[in-house]
Amino acid sequence: MAPSSGRRAPSAAELEERNTIGINKETVTNTTSDAYPNNYANEEHAWDKEDFRRTFKVQFHQNDQFEAQFSLIGVDASIANAFRRIMIAEIPSLSIETVFVNNNTSVIQDEVLAHRLGLIPFTGGKKGLRDFMGFWRKPGPEEDAYATTFDTNTVSLKLAAKCTRNKDAPKDSRDPKVLYDNAHIYARDIVFEPLGGQAKWFSGEDTIRPVNPDILIAKMRPGQEIDIEMHMHKGFGWDHAKYSPVATASYRLMPRITILRPILGADAEKFASCFTPGVIGLEKVTRQEAKTKGSGYEGHEGELKAVVKDPMRDTVSREALRHPEFEGKVKLGRRKDHFIFSIESAGQWESDELFIESVKTLKKKCGVLRSQVTNMVQTF
Amino acid sequence: MSREAYQIPTSQGNAPGAGTTLSRTFDLEGATMNYICGDCGFKFALRRSDTIRCKECGCRILYKERTKRMVQFEAR
Repeated sequence: MAPSSGRRAPSAAELEERNTIGINKETVTNTTSDAYPNNYANEEHAWDKEDFRRTFKVQFHQNDQFEAQFSLIGVDASIANAFRRIMIAEIPSLSIETVFVNNNTSVIQDEVLAHRLGLIPFTGGKKGLRDFMGFWRKPGPEEDAYATTFDTNTVSLKLAAKCTRNKDAPKDSRDPKVLYDNAHIYARDIVFEPLGGQAKWFSGEDTIRPVNPDILIAKMRPGQEIDIEMHMHKGFGWDHAKYSPVATASYRLMPRITILRPILGADAEKFASCFTPGVIGLEKVTRQEAKTKGSGYEGHEGELKAVVKDPMRDTVSREALRHPEFEGKVKLGRRKDHFIFSIESAGQWESDELFIESVKTLKKKCGVLRSQVTNMVQTF
Repeated sequence: MSREAYQIPTSQGNAPGAGTTLSRTFDLEGATMNYICGDCGFKFALRRSDTIRCKECGCRILYKERTKRMVQFEAR
């Protein structure tokens, strides 16, 4: 805004100060969000779309199939937190929901076994999971128990195994896996049984299968038997954690390390060891710097000085603040609007797809809110 | 009621729950039930009047067999 309107523009240093959470020896300061109008006198802070478009950035640091790390720069904590919560609780995934135990003589109890089965992450053809599969509805009190169960909302699985003695086992063997057949039951032993139109969507490499085939489900001894059928449904993380498509979805704020006065020589090495390896680098003081008066480097040409190399790797342990020799020489903080997300998928979605889906979900929710607000305005 | 005074409900007695046709047939025939020895794992049938003892090894700890019916659980 022009100064004539009585508005003033804050300086860059002032803006950076406002944008930094102070991490001090025993306190954490400046934690509240101030990105809204009338927070600072005579300053324009109304939300502006063009301004947002200019300052908002997404940077990917790592993008593997099931693990992604990226930065959202220039958003408010409420938005970043909304994405995190949506990823955990509001993106659907397919999980075992009902377990029909025909026989289970293993030492693991039916209830515990059912619970364990529910937590196993499964995957399958993406198109089939997203488009073909719908949501199962609990039948009403008058309806048949399976009145709402169709091939479009239920996946059937089977697990049948009987432990027997291995006749060919060597005499001196003691390993139960050698002595007996089916001593260990793994997730890979679960068999998918296509119903109706499912064969078209879930066959070949698209078959419904556990993401990690080596998950141990139960151990058995000769004579014991497990014979189970299972029904899978689609659900949301807010219903049960087993439906959550992420293993972790979290963010942290970008650390900011400011060296206020030069740290030189042996002190610099000690300073570097106060941080995670790679955060602080050691560089030689140049002739140019040694010549500059008032820089603190005078007469130290060729000595090692500490420089901030990669603050993102820091864990902000505050170790540097404990040592008296660094007092007043360093300032620790975090950037208020720089969120480093870390998303680990449980296997049904790709990790970057999860974030896009959370954006889509938030957009959809905003659409609902918009029509409600319009309705409210018209009613009152 | 002391332990000695307790009477096992029979079809002839007036104890509630007894006297249905189902329990009467069971009483008359002495319905057999399969048990599993707790010691040797031997599976065998016992009648109502038989002593609770494994027919193979004489172990006095017997287990009933698991139900043949399907049991449904929620995976939660």
